[in-house]
Amino acid sequence: MIGGALVGGLAGTLVLTTLLRAASELGLTRIDLPFLLGTAVTEDRVRAKAIGYLLHFVFGLLFALAYWAVFVVVDDSGILLGAAFGFVHALFAASALVSVLLPTVHPRMGSGFDAAGSAPLLEPPGFFLLNYGRQTPLVTVVAHVVYGGIVGGFVAWAG
Amino acid sequence: MSDPIRNRGYAPIRDYAAVGDGRTVALVARDGSIDWLCLPDLDSPSVFAALVDAERGGRFLLEPEVPYEATRRYVPKTNVLETTFATSQGRVRVTDAMTLPTSGFAPYRELVRRVEGTAGRVPMLWRVEPRPRYGARVRLERRAGVPVAACGRDAVAVLGWDAGEPAIGDGDVNSRFVTAEGDVAHIVLAAAHQEPLVLPARGEVATRLAATESAWRDWSAGRVYDGPWRDAVLRSALALKLLVFAPSGAIAAAATTSVPEAVGGGRNWDYRFSWPRDSAFTLRALLGLGCSREADAYFSWLSHASQLTHPNVRVLYRLNGRPEADERTLPLSGYRGSCPVRIGNGAAGQTQLDVYGEVLDAASEMARSAGGLDRDHARWLAGVADHVCDIWAETDAGIWEVRGDPAHFTQSKMMCAVALDRACALAEKGWVRGDVARWRRERGRIRAFVENRCYAEHKRSYTRSSEEDLLDASLLLGVIARYDDAAAPRLVGTVDAVRRELADGPYVTRYVSEDGLPGEEGAFLACSFWLVEAYARQGRLEEATALMDELVGLANDVGLYSEEIDPRTDEFLGNFPQALSHLALINAATAVAEAAR
Repeated sequence: MIGGALVGGLAGTLVLTTLLRAASELGLTRIDLPFLLGTAVTEDRVRAKAIGYLLHFVFGLLFALAYWAVFVVVDDSGILLGAAFGFVHALFAASALVSVLLPTVHPRMGSGFDAAGSAPLLEPPGFFLLNYGRQTPLVTVVAHVVYGGIVGGFVAWAG
Repeated sequence: MSDPIRNRGYAPIRDYAAVGDGRTVALVARDGSIDWLCLPDLDSPSVFAALVDAERGGRFLLEPEVPYEATRRYVPKTNVLETTFATSQGRVRVTDAMTLPTSGFAPYRELVRRVEGTAGRVPMLWRVEPRPRYGARVRLERRAGVPVAACGRDAVAVLGWDAGEPAIGDGDVNSRFVTAEGDVAHIVLAAAHQEPLVLPARGEVATRLAATESAWRDWSAGRVYDGPWRDAVLRSALALKLLVFAPSGAIAAAATTSVPEAVGGGRNWDYRFSWPRDSAFTLRALLGLGCSREADAYFSWLSHASQLTHPNVRVLYRLNGRPEADERTLPLSGYRGSCPVRIGNGAAGQTQLDVYGEVLDAASEMARSAGGLDRDHARWLAGVADHVCDIWAETDAGIWEVRGDPAHFTQSKMMCAVALDRACALAEKGWVRGDVARWRRERGRIRAFVENRCYAEHKRSYTRSSEEDLLDASLLLGVIARYDDAAAPRLVGTVDAVRRELADGPYVTRYVSEDGLPGEEGAFLACSFWLVEAYARQGRLEEATALMDELVGLANDVGLYSEEIDPRTDEFLGNFPQALSHLALINAATAVAEAAR
């Protein structure tokens, strides 16, 4: 079952990343999670993207393990339940994880208290990530629901 | 020194200077207004387009609040612009640049304006009116205290230091400040594309600006030209470098769209594409200046872009190499009412046979420089030569992309002969393999067509096409592309006829016949430079030098040229700055220098 969570986490992150990228290409959002994560580690743009993708997949696997733990507790799993988890996950990410927590720990991200001073700042995401485009919350929710569904599906399939 | 004058909000095209970073170009008017900038790339939608709609296009204004006189120059050997405003209360120097990427955490694109007080106390005003997507109004908000305009996957932030407190107005960010002697202020436009904005720090902006100046100087130091008109050649090289789209190696024909060929007319085209037709001029100029890296990149781009359409070579390609260029009009009023404003270019679907001659001539230059061709390029070129054998007898739209009926244009046929001539020469060196006997046979048939049907004995000149006996300045390319020996009587007669019938002083008109479009146009600057080159190749140095001296004097105050010029007023017309004009200047100067040796 844990193997299913890991495979689901990998596949789900792949699809989530692709969906966010496609939304960006369609002009719906400027969110770029690998860029946000990678620039916490390095200021070099190219390295930031590479490291960011790696970190994104690591987080994708960690969240899949968290989903798995909840599946074990509730003794149930499946695409729909996973999608529901994804929905909650998206709300949490948009309202707290990325919009509040990330700016406090990201060394290069601005907050409402900063102005561009001695160091460059990364544009903060704002409430529900709205700074990155008005469609960003919707895109984020859809991508995470799909991620959750994939993780739930793989966990159920692995038994 | 002169007062900047605007006509209904429009600056003369001659009043613009260009700054860029190898990905996009901003046009700065003499009065300090940035009236054209596309982001993130040269062929992306504009964020400032006051150039083609003074009311709705958007601009970045920065000027003294009191009457002034403005003088400008590029910081020597760079694409960093310095404008000095002299007022009754003091003097201010504004330095404009698009910074080049360096180490550190920089915005995706960055436009920097440094304001330095050099005498007295001068009240300054600045106003940024971002209008993304060719004139759209967007809401401005603050991020980390910084005004930001966001639109879809793009966003720009406006940052200022010692430049007054930026206020968000009705669709703009504005401020006022007084600059005293010794004061330094910075105003920066930071842009993002498909990512969150990076809001730069002042110290890093200043460092990047200095590094940008230094990078341009280093690039200029690598140029090897040592002939006459050295300053004009170096400025042309720097202008060309602005039009080289660094991510792909393509060279844009110009930085703008729809700057009219006649004010108030409809000959307004989008030149933010790369024309393979210019390839031979480009490679000759780049190689002659010691830009072998740029030449390699351009040739690779050309061969890759045309892979998709092989063996056809399309008239133009997007800067990223894609072939689509659908033409449409925008709801903008146009430069001084010159409608329509077009994006995309309908010429992409035309047949222009001359392009094959230019491509094979370019390949021949590259092979000579590199001592051979790799197998893929050789196969591609052999395919192109076979294709020329198949299609040379067809009619086409010609080098000037006429929108009337296709015809048998003489220059197109000449260039088909040149294509097969170069293919045969490459084969003789063992660099290309193919049906050489067929290439030779067809080359002979094309030459017979040109000599029998495209020459007017009574004019002692080749003619525009096999159907008419009018002249065309593109026939000068017969000399430049070595269709025949430069001193061949028919080519000498043609050069004389072009001078006699199409030139007026230093100005040369492309042609005088119908082209399927209403309205007139100015004199075509590249044709004037081609005439210089033709003279030089025919050993007529005195005529070449005299004409070149006049043409160098026609540049604007910072050494740039547009596509055309009005012979009556010297007003610049057409897209700006124009790669073909600068390429032709470099090649003409080089030809004169070679002939003098």
